[in-house]
Amino acid sequence: MSASVTNQVAKESFGSKDSKLSLLGFFMALPPILVLGIFIGLPIGLAFFLSIGYTGGLNEVISIIGQDIRGREGKLFTLQAYKDVIADPRFAGDLKTTLIVSSVATVFVLIFSIGIGLLQRLRGGKLSSVLTALSLTPLFIPVVISSWALYTFYGSAGLYRTIFQSFGLDIPQITSTMLAVIIGSIWTSLPFAILMVTSGFQSIPNALIEAAQDAGASLITIIRTVMLPLALIPIIIVATFTSIGVLGSFTIPFFLGPNQPTMFGVEITNFFTAYNRPQQSVVMAFIVFAAASGIAISYIWANFRSAKESGRV
Amino acid sequence: MANQSGEGLELVGLRKILGGRVIIDDLNLVVNKGEMVSLLGPSGCGKTTTLRMIAGFLIPESGKVFLAGKDVTEIGPEKRPSAMVFQNYALWPHMTVFKNVAYPLKVRKMSKSEIEKRVHDVLGLVNLMHHKDSRPAQISGGEQQRVALARALVQEPDILLLDEPLSNLDAKLRVKVREDIRELQRRLGITTVIVTHDQDEALSISDRIAVMNDGRIEQFSTPQELYDAPQTEYVANFIGSLNRVTGSYENGAISAGSDVIGIRPEDVFFSKNQVPGSVAATVTLVVPRGHFYEVYLKRNDAELRAFISSEVPKAGDAGFANITKALIYRDGKLVRTA
Amino acid sequence: MANDVQPLNLHTKSIGVKAILLAFSIFMLLLIVGPLIWLAVHAFAVEWIFPSYLPTGWTLEWFRKVFEVSALVSAIKNSLIISPIVVIVSAVICLPAAYASARYNYWGRRTFLIMMFASNAFPKIGLFATIATLYYFLNLMGTIVGVIIVQVLGTIIFMTWIPAAAFAAVPKSLEEAARDAGASKFRVFRTITLRMAMPGILVAMVMSFIYAFDEAQGTYLVGAPSIYTMPTAMYAIVETYPVQVTAVFSILLTIPSVLLIGLARKHIIGGQLAEGFQIK
Repeated sequence: MSASVTNQVAKESFGSKDSKLSLLGFFMALPPILVLGIFIGLPIGLAFFLSIGYTGGLNEVISIIGQDIRGREGKLFTLQAYKDVIADPRFAGDLKTTLIVSSVATVFVLIFSIGIGLLQRLRGGKLSSVLTALSLTPLFIPVVISSWALYTFYGSAGLYRTIFQSFGLDIPQITSTMLAVIIGSIWTSLPFAILMVTSGFQSIPNALIEAAQDAGASLITIIRTVMLPLALIPIIIVATFTSIGVLGSFTIPFFLGPNQPTMFGVEITNFFTAYNRPQQSVVMAFIVFAAASGIAISYIWANFRSAKESGRV
Repeated sequence: MANQSGEGLELVGLRKILGGRVIIDDLNLVVNKGEMVSLLGPSGCGKTTTLRMIAGFLIPESGKVFLAGKDVTEIGPEKRPSAMVFQNYALWPHMTVFKNVAYPLKVRKMSKSEIEKRVHDVLGLVNLMHHKDSRPAQISGGEQQRVALARALVQEPDILLLDEPLSNLDAKLRVKVREDIRELQRRLGITTVIVTHDQDEALSISDRIAVMNDGRIEQFSTPQELYDAPQTEYVANFIGSLNRVTGSYENGAISAGSDVIGIRPEDVFFSKNQVPGSVAATVTLVVPRGHFYEVYLKRNDAELRAFISSEVPKAGDAGFANITKALIYRDGKLVRTA
Repeated sequence: MANDVQPLNLHTKSIGVKAILLAFSIFMLLLIVGPLIWLAVHAFAVEWIFPSYLPTGWTLEWFRKVFEVSALVSAIKNSLIISPIVVIVSAVICLPAAYASARYNYWGRRTFLIMMFASNAFPKIGLFATIATLYYFLNLMGTIVGVIIVQVLGTIIFMTWIPAAAFAAVPKSLEEAARDAGASKFRVFRTITLRMAMPGILVAMVMSFIYAFDEAQGTYLVGAPSIYTMPTAMYAIVETYPVQVTAVFSILLTIPSVLLIGLARKHIIGGQLAEGFQIK
């Protein structure tokens, strides 16, 4: 649907600010919120209170089992656990690794998805269909398998080394490196990005592109001034979801990354299970959450800003 | 009519195949500088395909396109001296009216002040200065069309192309807008080609009309010539109303035959008394049409419609109907007028 | 849609662009296809020693061996039972909400949508760790219900946002025409709204199924060691069984996704997805 039709339909379809508030609607919308509230909201709340030192109530069991729990000792809350984590020498390395991997992976995912999306929209043809279909394959594959496949491929006995061997080059395996984690993260994030970006470009009517041609614009100019702005929302969605996803990822860095420094996802699990330090684990989870929220807020802001501009809000 | 100064538009032997089908075959057209020409026909006749070949969005299989004397057949739409107004206006929703219109100038890397001057000029021309900072979604359909027009005009094109400009407007607005377009075109003197399926529209604003059918131009003449002497049955049917009777026409009466006789309702008259050449007829139906009446007459040799505005009969009246002009077609082509 | 009629006439003749395209394609092919083919081929390989290009022989033995191991077979059964249940549960919970958010205005509508999105921002692995606390309290650790809940959590965003966009895209005038013709509200919903929104709903169901089927982290934390699904079994077998077994299991795990996405392909790539992820 073209943007204007969608707007039209959107305006027709559901209540704007001035229509009556529906009680039925509220109750219909409640179940998923309740489920999320109980099974995500509540644990997050519990975890937050644990992180600031609340060791009683529902947190009692875990406080007894875990080590190095910092209680709040009568004060309203304590930030000792946070101080511990940040002071930990591993923290800085993990933070750097997580941020670098997330941003580099996001940048490349954007480059690839926009590239393929533009190719598909402007040129079509066999090559772009093949590339699009290929980039979607990771969608079918569970992350566990993808990690394993990548691990063996880039590993000491993998095809990657095999190919180079036949040229007489002895390349070291790239597993257990940040590079492998980046490649793996790109691999798993690509399908969603491709879907979003290609569908974003697809919804640009031909006439808008032809009008720019008719006005004298070159290909690059058309991409820069018409196509990218019109596909901005999907692109921002991709950037947001990808960076948040990679930020908190576990399986890929677990299989493909080094032991130290590693990404927060792995560290969180290590602290919770292997080291039995659950409080520090949730502290790290919240630090990651804070970063992810920052990204999420910019997504929401961008969404509302574009809705305002195109007259939807 | 040959192209004198080598300006305007010339299409030579164009041939276009789309989806395996031959849409256009050996199309020739010459449009003089400053002329307003319509490509008129039903959907599927190839008029939009032709327009897109003029604009450069389609490259013909063979044949040539000359714009302002230059062979532009192989050149893409970016570099052609043509500007197009798209059917759905194709305004960029993320840009203001000003930015939409300024776009072609920005592409040409004009200075900011120069751009501002030109855009203001052309927005004044189409009467949209008060909306220059609005977004397309905030203005009406008619206003959007004017923006699209402004965007085309700001390029100072040698040839202006309009793709069904009035089809998205409501009836009343259509009449006003088409007159505005005509006035603007006359004032600026830009060679213009309009694609339309509405014969009313074509007849009222064009210098000449190319009536198209199945990828061919059946006739290319002024509106009056098309109306008075349509060269083919198809054109006669398409332009204006027509009574079609199969038979043989002689002295105002129709006998058995295989010619197709076309009679315009304005050329059918009804009277109570017999006049030379008339045949007995009864009125079967009278339909009021505003400033005239459509009267259905039954003669013994044919059933005819007439447009009558004074002394209008009533259904059931008996009298005489005579024909003042008939177009006779054989194998689709005009053989004689009587 | 305007686009599928005629392709655009945009060509660049520059060699540079063509070269970039070629390099890009090769890179993408290596990056994506390479590891998959590598693993897939292993499923049929007798033995494959570095650094040869080909395995020593081809066989289907490994497929048979996988089906002989009861633990693996039970994991397959669990996956095939649990995933559809997750989709159904998710649909029951979320579809009414999807319809409501598309057609009604109610208190907190936008906030609900945003909260759903925000819940995705919390790192999943951290979440599962904290859910464990609640689960111990509710006695849900190691139970099928516990696994189902954990998987449903991840599908909520698919099952709400995408169908919401699908419902919103049904023009109200069509519903009104049906009411005018005499149909009851429910009949209108069943025959018009639901019908037209079905592609979007199916897309959401397919994505939810694949999510549930492939979900490993939460299921592992909550289900192991009593319940294994195919992905969590992978965690276990990866170390203890030879690569070929992992490869076979990988292929088996991939089949449902391939089938489902193949069926829904037209709709997923058609633009349903982008529409779904905007807050309207």
